[in-house]
Amino acid sequence: MAHTQHIYTKPGETLFGFLMVILSGFLFWKAYSISGFESLSSPGALPLAATALMVITSCVSCIQNLRLPTEVQGHFFKEILPPVVAVMIAVIFLFAVVLNTLGFILTALAFLFLTIKFLHRSGTIRTLLLSAMILVLVYVVFRLVFKVVLPEGIIPEREIMAVIVDLFNSGAN
Amino acid sequence: MLEALQYFSMAWVSPQLLALVALGTFLGIYVGAIPGLSVTMAVSILISFTFSWDINNALCLMVGVYMGGVYGGSRTAILLNIPGAPSAIATALDGFPMAQKGEAGRAIGLSTVMSVVGGFIGIFILAVAAPSISEFALTFQPRDYMMLGVMGIMLVGSLSGESLTKGIFAGALGILIGTVGLDPLTAEERFTFGAVELWNGINPVAVMIGMFGLSEALMQLHHLDKVALKQKLDRIIPAWADVRKYLPLGTQSSILGTIIGALPGTGGDIAALMAYDYARRTTKNPKVPFGEGAKEGLIAPESANNAAVGGAYIPMLTLGIPGDAVTAVFIGALFIHGLNPGPMLLTERPEMFWFTVGNLTLANIFVLIFGLTGIKLFSRIVECPKGILIPLIFVLSIVGAYAINNSVADIWWMLGFGVLGYFMKLYGYQVGPVILGVILSRLVDDNWRRAIISERGDIGEFFVNLFSSPLSVVLFSVVILILISQFPIWKVMLKKRRSDASRDA
Amino acid sequence: MKKTLIKTLAGITFAGLVVGNAMAEYPEKDLQGIIQWGPGGSTDTVMRSVTPHAEDVLGRDIIMTNKTGGVGAIATKYVNAMKADGYTLLMGAENPQMYKVLGLADIDYSDMIPINILARGTPIFVARNDAPFNTMKELVEYTKNHPDEIKTGSTGPGGLTSIMLAMLKAETNVEFTGVPYDGDGPALTALQGGAIDIMPAVLGAAIEHIKAGRMKVIGLVDTQANDLLPEVAPITEEFPSFNKYLPWGPFFGVFIKQGTPDEAVEKLVDAYTKAAEQPDFKALMDKRGFSIMNVSGDEAKQFLENYRSVSSWIVYDAGFAKHSPEEFGIKRPE
Repeated sequence: MAHTQHIYTKPGETLFGFLMVILSGFLFWKAYSISGFESLSSPGALPLAATALMVITSCVSCIQNLRLPTEVQGHFFKEILPPVVAVMIAVIFLFAVVLNTLGFILTALAFLFLTIKFLHRSGTIRTLLLSAMILVLVYVVFRLVFKVVLPEGIIPEREIMAVIVDLFNSGAN
Repeated sequence: MLEALQYFSMAWVSPQLLALVALGTFLGIYVGAIPGLSVTMAVSILISFTFSWDINNALCLMVGVYMGGVYGGSRTAILLNIPGAPSAIATALDGFPMAQKGEAGRAIGLSTVMSVVGGFIGIFILAVAAPSISEFALTFQPRDYMMLGVMGIMLVGSLSGESLTKGIFAGALGILIGTVGLDPLTAEERFTFGAVELWNGINPVAVMIGMFGLSEALMQLHHLDKVALKQKLDRIIPAWADVRKYLPLGTQSSILGTIIGALPGTGGDIAALMAYDYARRTTKNPKVPFGEGAKEGLIAPESANNAAVGGAYIPMLTLGIPGDAVTAVFIGALFIHGLNPGPMLLTERPEMFWFTVGNLTLANIFVLIFGLTGIKLFSRIVECPKGILIPLIFVLSIVGAYAINNSVADIWWMLGFGVLGYFMKLYGYQVGPVILGVILSRLVDDNWRRAIISERGDIGEFFVNLFSSPLSVVLFSVVILILISQFPIWKVMLKKRRSDASRDA
Repeated sequence: MKKTLIKTLAGITFAGLVVGNAMAEYPEKDLQGIIQWGPGGSTDTVMRSVTPHAEDVLGRDIIMTNKTGGVGAIATKYVNAMKADGYTLLMGAENPQMYKVLGLADIDYSDMIPINILARGTPIFVARNDAPFNTMKELVEYTKNHPDEIKTGSTGPGGLTSIMLAMLKAETNVEFTGVPYDGDGPALTALQGGAIDIMPAVLGAAIEHIKAGRMKVIGLVDTQANDLLPEVAPITEEFPSFNKYLPWGPFFGVFIKQGTPDEAVEKLVDAYTKAAEQPDFKALMDKRGFSIMNVSGDEAKQFLENYRSVSSWIVYDAGFAKHSPEEFGIKRPE
């Protein structure tokens, strides 16, 4: 990605600039309400300085934007947020929502299957195998090797593992 | 002397210890490479795992994980633009552009060799100068830490891309994100909106995974049908001429990294960022511009963060003061195994010093071996069809964010900052300064306030004390110098005077 | 090999059937231990050195996870949001006892079942080596002659250091300049670099530095002398009025949600009691200056109540509590 100064306003850029100004203003007010202009060593001092900088710089870039030619090149939903990006963001959002109730294994399997099917467009069996493979890999690394307890949801993982371990132990005895 | 050599080589001559260091290093590389799995976490898991082991065995394994882990962060930074750990953020800035040009193999090869060089320099300094450096590190006052932080923040200028204004905005946003949560000094709530979940602040790793990993993957969705670039896989091991050419920069970055690592308040992440900044300032004519795949931008942070490992051990072994988060866990491990980590450690157990130095050296050699062997396989990841690679990145980002603190809240942050980062990138803002701000925010905020409180709020007193300490004066001059070169006010003034003069004529 | 596979598959099906039934025999699966503080801290270290012994007794693993934030409130709330089935333990320090008066959370240890209070730390005052005082009395005198000149490290309102400073202020009426640090570790480092003059700390955190002569002890906040510091007199000799607070000090304990079946509680209490009796754990604690307590049941509850009442009232009287201890029925210590 080359960082050349662009010469026209991208669709939605003016709006984004305004949103940043509003965000900065809001945060500045929030920073002020921490401890006001009480002293240089107050908890609010650095937040105030940072948000003040944000307000100034966001205003400057907003004005710079307005000076650029306003002709709209391309469409917002084509150049900036194509449907595929929007769909992906929504799917990840859903992932986080259902993760705790459904559990990691089911959610991740469904997520991998659907997204690979949608983005890669290969056969159902192949996609399923591929998703299962990735899932096993992730599960082994995170859950088994590094003991990150992923949400269990409706699959009683620990009970299953206990049964397996007990079986091995009784086999060993 | 002979004794030292004997302890140094303890792990080298025992097949069991040798194997444990190797295993640790191997595991460490993966821990480092996977975002969300941190070396700190892995070492604390190992404490429980090695509880009943002999202490030497346990230490060999853990040292390996530490050394391997710090190196491993560069892997995913180069290949996927997701730094495996905060210390690899600077690596992604030039490493990922290299991979996009089909030079992933070369980038990994070069970063491996320079990491190892950095590692050795750190270990060497640890071996010869540990006591004097740890006493030096203790003399750093809050104001000195604050100035180090300010130096780091000046890096915003060189990370801003097309517009300095937007760069400053992004940096300030990062600083702000870093202040969210209960203020660590007064427990005042800052930007928590009454939510307990926000008390601990927003984890930098969640911001990092979102802004780098997720937003990059979303960008890639624009070019789904573009066939992945074929990676050039010849000349992976860098030519000797190349290594020699970059050795001075690598050495300087390593010395910087060792000292930053030895300071009890700063670690490898800050060392890598400052080394990157140093490389940008001192490299006059890079073959490839910085940010587009400059080798210098890869070498400096990679050698510095591995040198910081040796540095972090300096105060830990000599004084029992951790140089970073990982050495803090090491202190716990020594304690559990019945040692007394502290200033008396080396009096009571003199063998610990050379044993550790030996293990670190060994682990560093294994980094070189493991680092250079798997490159071809790893580089193929980038060639993997996007339709499969992108879902994989999504799942890794989600699990990685969750793993930070076992909480879904971090997934939300990751997603939120991922989407914000995506729009910022499209509208010409860089995400680098945001991460920079997040990482340095605490360092500047805490120490600025400590410094002011120590002088009872008297700014005059602050400067009097500053100018009576040689260390502070040096740091202050560097800050001023950077400031002048960064924002060349005098150049503008000179130009103006010249144009005034010509008008008069 | 094939046989094992069949067995495994059978096991999985079996587990599917069993789920939902009542507990066969506790513990039938691995447990989870939530540590309130981060890796490398003293709570973390203590928990990781005692839990492996408890695992041996229980016959199951206890997977320990650090869940930091909100001075331990996030971990406390998390454990209380889980099922009361005996599979999620809270491994914590003294902090939750102050949540109510500080307004950090509406739960504390009195709302949970203590499995074991493992050990207690001894609070001390340390000073940098070249400080012009050697005892608490000299410190108080010096401070009265040089008001606000002495810089002390502090670790946020409600933390151990703030309570100790509040006690000292309540008894002697001295004022210090408090320089905040986020933990006693960084503050003790700063003390060695001369950035602060004194620091209230736990003996365990400072002992190695004291032994090496890098800082000096000026006060032992206890009623009797400590084996590790034989030459330091307890603070009650210089200031007898401290007797009403003592013995008091930070502690480490394992807790479980209220409503957990008795069978599980009994087994856990048994496991941790046996674990804390292990000689290597005891040796470890002794060497670090922690006094082993290893108490459960009513004895543990009484200790917890005393800590809560002393600390809550001190903090309230010093003026940095959000709520009065009375609101929660916390009695003033006699």
